[in-house]
Amino acid sequence: MRTLLVSFVIATTLSAQNYTFLVSEYTKETELEAKIVSNIAEASLNKSEIRLFIPEISELEERVYSNFVTLTSSCSEADFVFVKRSVDVTEYCQDMDKVYVTNNYSKLLSDQRYIGAFFWQKSRPNITFLNKRLQKKQIQLPSNYEKFVEDF
Amino acid sequence: MKEKSFIKQPLYLVFSIFIVSAVLLLLLYGTIKLEHSIEEKMVAISTTDIFSVTDNTTEYIHEMLDPNKDFITQVADNNILQANIERSLEVLITKNIAYAYLLYKDKRGVFRFLADGSLEDKAFLHQKFDIDNPKWLEVYKTKEALSIEHLFLQDLAITYISPLVQDDEVKLLLVVDFSVKKVLKIEQILTMMKYGIIMMIAVIVLFLLVLIFQTIRYFAMRKNAYIDKLTGVYNRNYLQDAQEFINLNEYVLATIDIDHFKAVNDTYGHDAGDRVLAQVASCITSVLKVKQDIVIRYGGEEFVVLVKTHQEDTLEALNSIENIFEAIRNYKFHISSDEYLPMTVSIGVNLHPYKSRTFSQAFKLADTALYHAKNRGRNTIELYDENENRNNSMMLSINEIKEAIEEKRLLCYFQKIVSNSDQSTSHYEALLRIEDKDGSIITPDKILPAIEGTFILRNISKAVLEICYLKLQEESKISLNVNLNPADIVNQSIIAILQEYAKTQNIAQRLGLEVVETQDIIHCEDGRKNLLFLKSLGYKIYIDDFGSGYSNFIYLTQIQTDFIKIDGGIIKNILEDKISYLLVKSVVEFAKAAGIKVIAEFVSSEEIYEKVKELGIEYSQGYYFSVPSRELR
Repeated sequence: MRTLLVSFVIATTLSAQNYTFLVSEYTKETELEAKIVSNIAEASLNKSEIRLFIPEISELEERVYSNFVTLTSSCSEADFVFVKRSVDVTEYCQDMDKVYVTNNYSKLLSDQRYIGAFFWQKSRPNITFLNKRLQKKQIQLPSNYEKFVEDF
Repeated sequence: MKEKSFIKQPLYLVFSIFIVSAVLLLLLYGTIKLEHSIEEKMVAISTTDIFSVTDNTTEYIHEMLDPNKDFITQVADNNILQANIERSLEVLITKNIAYAYLLYKDKRGVFRFLADGSLEDKAFLHQKFDIDNPKWLEVYKTKEALSIEHLFLQDLAITYISPLVQDDEVKLLLVVDFSVKKVLKIEQILTMMKYGIIMMIAVIVLFLLVLIFQTIRYFAMRKNAYIDKLTGVYNRNYLQDAQEFINLNEYVLATIDIDHFKAVNDTYGHDAGDRVLAQVASCITSVLKVKQDIVIRYGGEEFVVLVKTHQEDTLEALNSIENIFEAIRNYKFHISSDEYLPMTVSIGVNLHPYKSRTFSQAFKLADTALYHAKNRGRNTIELYDENENRNNSMMLSINEIKEAIEEKRLLCYFQKIVSNSDQSTSHYEALLRIEDKDGSIITPDKILPAIEGTFILRNISKAVLEICYLKLQEESKISLNVNLNPADIVNQSIIAILQEYAKTQNIAQRLGLEVVETQDIIHCEDGRKNLLFLKSLGYKIYIDDFGSGYSNFIYLTQIQTDFIKIDGGIIKNILEDKISYLLVKSVVEFAKAAGIKVIAEFVSSEEIYEKVKELGIEYSQGYYFSVPSRELR
């Protein structure tokens, strides 16, 4: 009996990584995204206390983002809006003058509201700001963000 | 003698744990290194071909481009060329290659897409691309292809970057991203291998632990089998197993016998005897050096001691033995909480055991010295004297005789006694022999001196009587003579045995008792009575070796002896020595007058036989007629 118990404990310990999904979902990518988005928001608004609104935020994102930034549930209370997925931001922030960032490069090009985008290109995090839109919003990014700014 | 077991010695235990831990860590480190090495090799095997194909594609794209025009402008301005390049990149996309694309670096140092063969996540022309690792820039210096392993990206495992060079300057980068699927499969295989190795190591370690445990247990059990529980010193089993490995050059050998130990047992009981034994052992070990010297309880009240020494200097060892002797002599042996006895020991010492070929021979010499110590009144140390004992080297020791009795190696040879009138066999004399371990036959002159005056002699008489009794039952027509010692005649257990045998029909009449005439028996009233009693049971009494020592004619008539056997020493001189002749003549005349029959011993030739016959002696015994043999002849 003792041998059986010891064998079971050894086998379970060796295969422990197969059972981690029972404890928590994989959060590394979301965590990286939250860090970058909060940094972008701080750089864009040039302040540390940011109130972020993500329309139709998932539970996982809410849990992870709240570790880095203050989340709001309505667009009106937010300083910074990060639009993910195929959400129509107009539904949530109609005529509201906020700083908008998307996670879709195409959307960035086509929608004038967005000053920049944070997205995954070839499985790598990519940041792009459009210079004219930054100027229009009178946003001055720190010098270390210059490499992310496109001149159009 | 009692040493701490290996497990109970903390230093050894810590050392063992340290060694085992170090070995385990080494094995673990080896496993990890092996895993990494195998992983690198497997990844290399899996990717080498793709790297080659990528290099070929790079070459192919290079050939598609005009070397005289700027590569970037050519592709950016020519949709057909861009489409062709993208088609050649699409060929690279497989289950394990997620992306294949062509990049250039603009004047700001920003990477941008020029063509993208990826099926998903396709980039725009000139779209900015943020690289994840500064190693990318090395390609611009080395102008050589480069692979980068991703440790932090979730979906990518390896990126392969192949440069397109124009005018000795890297213009474009062909980039291929490997998905983690392949590497995950490799890692899965490696993980299985790793677990397999770990399990194997665990099984081996477990097996080794069980083996170590069993070995320790075996040695502990073996040690227990070697220790005498009563005294805590080694027992005879140890000696039997270890004697081949004892280097006789390094020891002085002594045998120690407790004097009058039987009296302690008989008087105070066996518990008291056991206490004395334990205390004697304690006295011996207290004097000796536990780690060097060896103490063995050889049996009963006898101990064997091996004292470590140098061949040239045995004095120190002898001092130790004297110290044992003194320690025992001065010790008060408690037989109960308030009663104690003084005890002494006899010690036989063989100072030069290395002169003997085997331990048994060395032991025999110490035992001979012990025998002399006892003969000299006990309570003494006797050293084995080589010169004194040279002639007795073949003599058996007490212990060898004891062993022979226990192992039933005691036997009788028979020599016939013939009637001088017609040379027909009248009866046989049973003669004691011991068959040695090597099969040689030992005669009484090598046996009796060691056991004279001991209870062993009585045991031998009993054994010989039994052999003769069985022989008489087996052979119904023969008569046998058996030799008894004077001490046997006054021993009630011997008398009782003879009384018992006499109850069997036709035994006493055929069993003659040969007794040597000594002063002791003549003056012993019990001896005389017992002889008469035995005679009344039907036994014939023979006076053996008559004329050799104390010969008393009156005594012969008192005990009403049936036969006298004239000593062989006289008979063999009868032809040459007139005194011997006259002595025999007078004995024969007396015997005839007293109605006692005469037997001549040592009749070894026809001349002696004729002379004996001429003197009127009725019976003869000697080599002229037969030599003693195991069978009746």
